Amino acid sequence: MLAAGLIAVLSPIAAEGQSMTPMRGEVRSFTDAFAVRVFPGNPYDQRIRVEIHVYDQDFRPIDARITPKAFVLAGQASRPVLVVVPFDGANERKVRICTESIPFPSEQTQIRAQICGKFFGHRRF
Amino acid sequence: MKFFRVAMAASLLAVCTGQTASAATGNVLFNGTITATCTVTINSNGTMTVSSNLQSLSSHNAGGSAGSAQVDTTGGVTLSVDPVTITTVPASDTTATTWTPTFATSGAQTIAETGTATALTVPGTSTVAVNLAGTKSGTDRFSAGNYQATVTLRCE
Repeated sequence: MLAAGLIAVLSPIAAEGQSMTPMRGEVRSFTDAFAVRVFPGNPYDQRIRVEIHVYDQDFRPIDARITPKAFVLAGQASRPVLVVVPFDGANERKVRICTESIPFPSEQTQIRAQICGKFFGHRRF
Repeated sequence: MKFFRVAMAASLLAVCTGQTASAATGNVLFNGTITATCTVTINSNGTMTVSSNLQSLSSHNAGGSAGSAQVDTTGGVTLSVDPVTITTVPASDTTATTWTPTFATSGAQTIAETGTATALTVPGTSTVAVNLAGTKSGTDRFSAGNYQATVTLRCE
């Protein structure tokens, strides 16, 4: 009885997963920020909600400008997302740009897919 | 005069016969670069069940099942799972639980069950089995109620 009550479900919904291109990139910039355009994709036939996040090499969040940061993606569709990453005084910066799925309200989501690309920005003076 | 024109045309035709047409040739090059790509599709749910000593809540236990995902990749990427940070436990459970997510792959590339980041070097489709185990130590026990935990499967 107790065992039955303890059954927990790792229940991902079908709207959990995505792709992103490109997953590697090197950018040279003459300003104090560098820009990357990525294309999150939805491999499913139904729409999903995704968010874009930017992290440093240790997966600490970076305050980057992301346009759009969160959106609904139609089935089998992809769309461009512009990410502008500040150098924050450094001459180069390695970042991860990640596409993460977001569950719709009232739906259980226990396996979350995350696709991360690695990008290297160089500052030129 | 008419005969002369016909004769000239015939003679010119005879002269041109046997001459090869001069044609220029060139090569058209095509280049293509495939960068690393990865598509993750979650296939099915996972289920955790409790052990007889009530100290393990795991998809490895009897009656439990792993979650399943499909990874399509060109290779040159790394697959990993994050430490579990998002959990829901019953109010009656006030003791600490250690959550351990693991994964294994089959298909294009086989990876034995691991919790550490592993390179996917083989292009193709691999099926990922995602397992999660929660453990309690000492005299702590899992209690009745619903448990939920989120495992992040990352391809980078």
